[in-house]
Amino acid sequence: MNSFKKHALKLSREYTQANFALVLSIVVSLVFLINSFNYKEGKIKSLVFTIFLVYALFTLYQFFLTWKIKKDLLKFGAIQPITRKLGYIQLLSILSANVFTASFAFNLIKNKKTPDYTFAVYMLFTQLFVIAISAFNMFKPYVTDTFLPAMGILVGILVFQVVTLVLVSKYVQDESAPSWFLVIAIVLIASSVTGNLFNLLLGISLIVKIRSHDRSRIIKWNTIWGKITRNSTAILGMFFIILMLSLSVCSKYTFDYDMAVENDYGSLLQQPSLEHPFGTDDFGRDLFSRIIFGARISLLVGFASTIIPLIIGGVLGAIAGYYTKRADNIIMRLLDILYAIPGILLAIAIIAAFGANTMNLILALSVGAIPSYARTMRANVLMVSNYEYVDSARALGASDFSIIFKQIVPNSLAPMIVKATLTIGGAVIATSSLSFLGLGVEPHIPEWGNILKIGSTYLESHSYLAIIPGLAIIGLVLSFNFLGDGLRDAFDPRMD
Amino acid sequence: MKKSLLAILITLVVILAGCVNTKSDVADKGNDNKDVKTDDSAVAIELLGMSTGEADMNIVRDQLIKNGFDVKLNIQPDYGSFTAQKDAGNYDLALSSWTTVTGNPDYAVRSLFKSDGDNSIMSDEEVDKLIEQASTETEEEFTKTYKQLEQRLVLDKAYIAPLYNSFKAQGVNKEIVNADTVRLAKSRAIAWESIDFVDTSKRATQPLIMQQPIGALTSLDPIKGNDGSINTLNTNMYVRLVNLTDDDKVVSDGSLSLNHVIAEGNQSYYFLLRDDINFTAVTDEKAVDTGERVGADDVVFSLNRAKDEKSVPDHRTYSLHESMEEIEVVTDLAELDVNQSGSEVTVKEALEEGLDAKISELVEDKNAADNAAGKYQVVKITTVNPFPQVLNYLAHQSAGIVSKKQVESINTYDVESFDVNKDIPYGDQNTVTEGAKYNNTLYASGPYILSHKNDYEAIFLKNPAYMTGTENEAKISNVTVRFIQDPDSTLSALRNGEIHIFNGVPETKYDLVEGDSKLTLQKSDSNAVSYLLFNTKNRAVSDSEDLRKAILYSINQDEILNYYQGNKNKAVSTVSPLVDTGNEVVADPAKVKEFLEAYNSSK
Repeated sequence: MNSFKKHALKLSREYTQANFALVLSIVVSLVFLINSFNYKEGKIKSLVFTIFLVYALFTLYQFFLTWKIKKDLLKFGAIQPITRKLGYIQLLSILSANVFTASFAFNLIKNKKTPDYTFAVYMLFTQLFVIAISAFNMFKPYVTDTFLPAMGILVGILVFQVVTLVLVSKYVQDESAPSWFLVIAIVLIASSVTGNLFNLLLGISLIVKIRSHDRSRIIKWNTIWGKITRNSTAILGMFFIILMLSLSVCSKYTFDYDMAVENDYGSLLQQPSLEHPFGTDDFGRDLFSRIIFGARISLLVGFASTIIPLIIGGVLGAIAGYYTKRADNIIMRLLDILYAIPGILLAIAIIAAFGANTMNLILALSVGAIPSYARTMRANVLMVSNYEYVDSARALGASDFSIIFKQIVPNSLAPMIVKATLTIGGAVIATSSLSFLGLGVEPHIPEWGNILKIGSTYLESHSYLAIIPGLAIIGLVLSFNFLGDGLRDAFDPRMD
Repeated sequence: MKKSLLAILITLVVILAGCVNTKSDVADKGNDNKDVKTDDSAVAIELLGMSTGEADMNIVRDQLIKNGFDVKLNIQPDYGSFTAQKDAGNYDLALSSWTTVTGNPDYAVRSLFKSDGDNSIMSDEEVDKLIEQASTETEEEFTKTYKQLEQRLVLDKAYIAPLYNSFKAQGVNKEIVNADTVRLAKSRAIAWESIDFVDTSKRATQPLIMQQPIGALTSLDPIKGNDGSINTLNTNMYVRLVNLTDDDKVVSDGSLSLNHVIAEGNQSYYFLLRDDINFTAVTDEKAVDTGERVGADDVVFSLNRAKDEKSVPDHRTYSLHESMEEIEVVTDLAELDVNQSGSEVTVKEALEEGLDAKISELVEDKNAADNAAGKYQVVKITTVNPFPQVLNYLAHQSAGIVSKKQVESINTYDVESFDVNKDIPYGDQNTVTEGAKYNNTLYASGPYILSHKNDYEAIFLKNPAYMTGTENEAKISNVTVRFIQDPDSTLSALRNGEIHIFNGVPETKYDLVEGDSKLTLQKSDSNAVSYLLFNTKNRAVSDSEDLRKAILYSINQDEILNYYQGNKNKAVSTVSPLVDTGNEVVADPAKVKEFLEAYNSSK
C-alpha cells in the first residue's frame, strides 16, 4: 500500500509542477533580493525590496502547497479537495506577474484538465501581461493617440476571456463541448488578430470538439495538445513567444514609435524608473519601447527566414526523395555545395553585396538554411513513399503531383515542424548577431542586436543596457527551443 | 454582475482618459515649429559615413528628421569603402573629420577648401582669395581674414556644416609611468623621449608599452605618409628643424636646431644646427651608432625631396612643403648680418642667443662642426612668398631629416619606372616586418629606431647617439607599440596593465579612467574637427544654397555636446580650434523652415 502511495507521488503531475514552480519562484525572488541592495551606498532600494517581499510571500505559500500535496499523496494517494481549494489563494500571485506559481495554481484548482482549459488560462495570462506591460506607458509624459481606444479593446477582450475561462472550465468536456460554444469560438478566433494566438488555438479546439463527429480526430487532437500543455517548459515557452507576438502587434497602437527612435538629449543614460522602466540609452531613447519594438523585427525575421527555407527546401527535398536517382542526385549535390558554405558567412556576403535592410536580412538567412530542410524532407519522403497507402494511391492512378502533395508531404510534415521550431531560435540569434556586427538593420532601428551593441560599450557604467536585450534574446530563443522540444515529444509516437 | 463590471470599466476608461495626455494633446500645447513635418514632400538626404561615426550619424539623422528632412544612411565599414563611395559621389552629406597636425590655420583650410587642394571638391574664387591672403599675414592680421573666410565658407555659402571640435584625452598608468613626464600636445604627436618610469631603475630593462590602432604602416619614409599609422612613429624616429610646443608654438627645443630666426621680409629663415646627433641603425636587433652625424647636407637633401613631387613614387606630403623655394647651407658668416624680422637685432645675434660659444665660423662639412669651439652649421630656407607659417610645416613629421647617404644608396630605382613588385624603397614596411623579407635598412635621426614589427606590435630601440647627456636624451631604452584597433579593447588593455599609455580615450569613457585608482586622465584641446561635407556635383545640395543652409541650421551643436557629456567643443570650421574668429553657428528651426520653403519654391 505504501509503495502505491510513493508511486502516486512519483506519478502526480501536480507535484512535479509544484516543485517546478517553487524552484523558479525561489530563483526569481533571489534575483530581486540581490538587486534590492545598493552595494555602493549600503542602502536598500525600497521598490525592488517590496517586490522581493511580495515574491517571497507567494514563494512561501507555494512551499506550503507543495508540502501539502506531498502529504496528501503520501497519506491518501490523491490530492484532497481542500488542498485544491487552497490553490485559489495562489491565483492572486498573477497580480505580481509570477506566471510560474499562477499557472500552477490554475492547474491545481481543476482536477480534470482539458487542453481547452490550459489554453484559456494562458490566453488570460497573455492578455493580462500585454495590458500590464502596455499600461506602463501611462507613466510617460504622454501616450500615443490610439492608446486609450486600444487599451479599451484589450480590456474588453480580457473581460470576455475571463467569462470564457469560467464557461470552459464548467462545460467543456474532454471529448465534447456544447454547440452554443460555436459563437464564443468565432469571437475568440476573430480576437486573435491582437496576436494572442491562444485565442486562436482555443477557438479551433472548441470548433473541433463541437463540429467533429469523428471521435478519433478529437482524441488525436487532445493527445498532441495534452502532451504539450502538460509539459511545463513547452507551455511556458509558447506563452512567452505568443506574448512577444501579441506585444509586437499591439505595440503599434499602445506604444509610441517615436520614443524608441527619436533622440532626447535631455535624458541620456537614465537609470530605470517608472517613466523609463528599463532606463534610457546613450541617445536618450526609452529602452523599454525599443525592446518592445525590437521583438517585432526579431519575430518577423525569425519566422520569415524559417518559413522560406522550409517551403523551398521542403519542395526540393520532396522531389528529390520521390523521384529517381538522377533527380535526387542533381538536387542534393547542388544543395550539398550550398551546404558547404558556412551559413553566417553566406549571410554576411549577401548583405555586403546587396546592402543592409530587413528584406535582404531575411533572404540572406534563408538561403543558407535551405539544404538542411531539404535533407530532412528527403529522408522523410524516402520513408513515407514506401508505405502501403502510397502504393494504393499509385495503383488507383493518382498523378505524381497529387501523390507527393496529398499523401506524402502531409505525412512527412511533423519532423519539419519540429525542426522549424528549433531553428527559429537560431534565426533570431543570427539576426541579432548580424545587427551586433553592424550588418543588420540600420543602427537607429530598435532591434535587439542593435540595442545590445550599444549596451556592450556601457557594460560597466550602465550594465542594464546590455543585460535587458540579452535577456530578451535568451528568453525568446529558449522559448522556441523549449516549444520545439515539446512538439518533438508530442509528435513522437514512441513517447506514448 | 456583468452590468456592474461594465460600469466599472467605463468609469475606469473615463478616469484614465482624463489623466492621460495623448501625443496630439502634447503636440498641440507645444505647437511652435513641430508642424514642419506635415509637409509631405520631405527632402531626402543621403548621409555617408563610416561605422566608427555611427553615433554622429545617428544624431545628424535625428536632427534632420526633426526638421522635416528624410534621411537615408550609407554606413561603410572602413575608410577604404568610405572613400570609394565618396569618390563615386553616392552621398549628399559625408561625415568628415580633419586634424590640423601642424598647428597652423593655413594647413586647416588649404588642402580642404582651395580649388586646387589635394582634398578639395569645391571651387569658390572668394574662398581661394581669402586663403591666399591669410597665408601671407601675421597672427594679428589673419584673425579677421579667417573670420571672413568662415563667413563665406560656412554661413553664407554653406559648403560644410560643422559638428564639433574634439578633445584629446590620454590615459596613463601612473603606477608604472611617471605621469608628469608624459606630454599631451594639442597638435603634435606624443614625444616618447621625455617619458620616464616611476621606478627609474627599470629604464633599461622594462619596455614602455604604447598603443596605436593601425598596424599596417604606410611607409617609414617620412615624406611618403601622413596618416595615423605612421605619424607618431615617424615623429619619434626622425628629428626635425623645429618642434611644436604643447600649445602649438614653434620652438627649437628638442629639435635639430639650437635656434631659428626669421629674417626681415618674412621670406628667409635661418637654422643653427646642433652637432650631437648621429644616425642610428639596427644590427642584430640592437640599435648601433653609425658614426654618421646628422648635418646640413642631410637637411638640404631631406627638404628638397620633401617639396619635390617627383622625388619618390607615392609622395603624399609635397603640398605641405611647396612654399619652400630654396634650401641651402650658409657658409659665409657675413650673410647673417641682416636684421631679424620686426626687430633691430641681427640674425647672427638672434641665433647666438643662449649659446655658450658664440658663432666664430660656419662650416660646410658636417663632421667639422664643433659647437663648443664655435664652429657651427647654418641652413637657410627661402620661401616663394612671405609665409611665416612655413615653420609649422617644418615641425611636421614629413619634414623629418633622413640620411642622404643611406636613402640614396637604397632608393636606386628610377622614379618614372618604379615597379612595386621589384623595387624596394626606403622605409617599406616589409623590410622591418618579421619574416623572409626582413632587411632593416632604416637610418633614424630621432630618439628611437624601429627594430622590427609583426601584426601585433612594433619594437623600438633607443638611439644611442641622440643628444646624449642632454635633457632630450631618451629615458627609456625600449618602446613597444601594440596594435589594438578597437578603443574599448584598448581601454581594457590599459586598465589591466597590458599597455601603459592610451592616447585617444573615447569621450564617453572618461569617467572609467578617472574612476580607476591606478590611472590618470590627461585632457587637452585638439585640432580635430568633425563636419558634414556637402556633395558639389549632381545633387540637389550641390545646386541649392537654400537647401544647404536649411541643413546647416538643422544641426544643433548643443545636443551633440550633450551626447558627448560635454567633452567636445563647438566649431564653425576646421580653423575654429586654431583661430578664435568669434563666429558661431546657432541651430534655428525657423530659418530651416524659411530656407526649405525657398528651396521648394525655386524647384
